[in-house]
Amino acid sequence: MKTRIPLPIVVLGLAAPLLTSCTSASSKKPASEAAVVGSAKSNGKSAVMAEDDDLDEYSAGSIFDPLQPLNRVTFWVNHQLYTFLLRPVSKTYEKVLPKPVRTCVSNVFDNVRFPVRFVNDTLQAEFPRAGQETGRFVVNSTLGVGGLFRPSDQFPALADVPAADTGQTLAKWGIDHGFYLVLPVIGPTSVRDGVGLAGDVALNPLTWVGIFYGALAWTLPVSVADGVRSMPDRFGTYDAATQNALDRYLALRSAYVQHRKMVAEK
Amino acid sequence: MKPLLLLLALLLPLQAALPSPTDAAKERLETAINEVMAVASRSSGDRELAEDLRPVLLKYISFDVLTRRAVGPGWSKFTEAQKQEVVQMFTTLTIRTYSSKITPGERPVIEIKNATNPAPGRVEINTSVLYQGKRTAVVYRMEEAEGWRITDIVIEGVSMILNYRTQFDAQFKKGGADAVLRALTQTLNKPQ
Repeated sequence: MKTRIPLPIVVLGLAAPLLTSCTSASSKKPASEAAVVGSAKSNGKSAVMAEDDDLDEYSAGSIFDPLQPLNRVTFWVNHQLYTFLLRPVSKTYEKVLPKPVRTCVSNVFDNVRFPVRFVNDTLQAEFPRAGQETGRFVVNSTLGVGGLFRPSDQFPALADVPAADTGQTLAKWGIDHGFYLVLPVIGPTSVRDGVGLAGDVALNPLTWVGIFYGALAWTLPVSVADGVRSMPDRFGTYDAATQNALDRYLALRSAYVQHRKMVAEK
Repeated sequence: MKPLLLLLALLLPLQAALPSPTDAAKERLETAINEVMAVASRSSGDRELAEDLRPVLLKYISFDVLTRRAVGPGWSKFTEAQKQEVVQMFTTLTIRTYSSKITPGERPVIEIKNATNPAPGRVEINTSVLYQGKRTAVVYRMEEAEGWRITDIVIEGVSMILNYRTQFDAQFKKGGADAVLRALTQTLNKPQ
C-alpha cells in the first residue's frame, strides 16, 4: 500500500469513529497514573468523598491529553465545519432520500466493509464471530441483493454481531491509547485508534479499487457518498455527547474514551 | 433448642419466597419505563414533556446520588446550600437531556435483559433499545435506598456520571464550587 490512498477516503470514507472509539489499556493502570483531563493539578486520591466508597468504578474515562490546546482548536474548527457545512449536507441527504433508501445505501457500504470486521475478528482470535460475519456477508450479498437489504437479522445466530475494527484489535492486544487526538473533520481519536483507522482503510475494499485500478474517478464519489451516508448517525452521536454539556470538548473526549473502552471489552 | 429450630424451619420458606434483588430492581425499572412511555405518549412538545416527566423521574431516579457522584472529589468542599443548589440544577439539566431524547412519533422498543448484582444493595440491568432500526445498549445502575432507584445510566458504555464528572471536576479545579455552579447556570441558560 503505497501512496495512492485517495485523500477523500481517508477524510470522509472512514470517519468511522467520529465519536466513538477505543481504550482499555488505561483501565489497567491505577487511576493515579492515568493523566486526568481538564486540569493538570489533580488532587489525586487524597480528596476522597466522605459519602462514597465506590468511586473506583468511576476512575476510568481519562486519557493522556498533552496536546489539549491544539486539540481544542481543531475541535472548535470541526464544530464550525459541522455546523455550517456538513450538517446542512447531512440534512439535505435526509430530506432528499427517504429512510428506506438511506437504509439500503448504508447496508451496502456496511456489507462491503466485511473484510475489516472479518480480518479483525480473526486477529482477535474471535473465530466464531469471524464465522458469523462470513455468514452475514454471504446471506446479505445473495438474499439481500448485493447487500441492499439485511436479511441476516432474521437469523438469530447472525443478528447482533459486534462490529470489529482495527483499533479494537490493537486494544485487545494490550496496546494503550498513547494520547488523545482530535483529527480535522474526523474528530476524536487517539494514537492507537488513529493507526487503527489507517488499518480499517487498508482493509476496506473501496480502497483496494482505488489502489489497484487507480480508479480515482470512481473512488472519489463513492467515498464521498460513504461519508455523507454516515453523517446523520454520526451527528446523532455527536449531539448526544455534547448537548447540554458544560464543556463540549471534555464531554466528547470522555464519551469517546468510555465508548472505546466498552468496544475493547466486547 | 427445639422451638428455635422450629422457628428457623418456619422462616426458611419465607426467605425463599422473597424476590431476589435483581428481580425486584428489574420490576421497578420496568414500571418506571412504562410510566415514562405513558407520559411521553400523552405529551406534546419538548418543554411540556420535560415538565410532565419531572415528577415521574424524581420518583425513580436518585438525583442526590447522581449529582454527588457526578461532582466527585470536590463534593465535600461544597457548603450545604451549594449542595442543594447543584442538585437542583443538575436535576433540571438531566431531565431536560432525557426529555430531548424522546421524540414524537416512532416509539423505541426496550428489551430488559439480564441483570447482575455487583454488591449488596446494587444491581446493574442490561437493556437493549431498538429505535429507528438502530440498537443501543443501555445499562441502568440501581441502588436500594427507600426502594430501588436509578443512580446512573450508561449508554453504549458512556456513563452519565463519569461524563459529567470530567466536566465538573475541571470546573472545580478552576474555581471551586462557585465555578461549578456558574458553569451549570450558563449551560441551563443556553437556548436549546
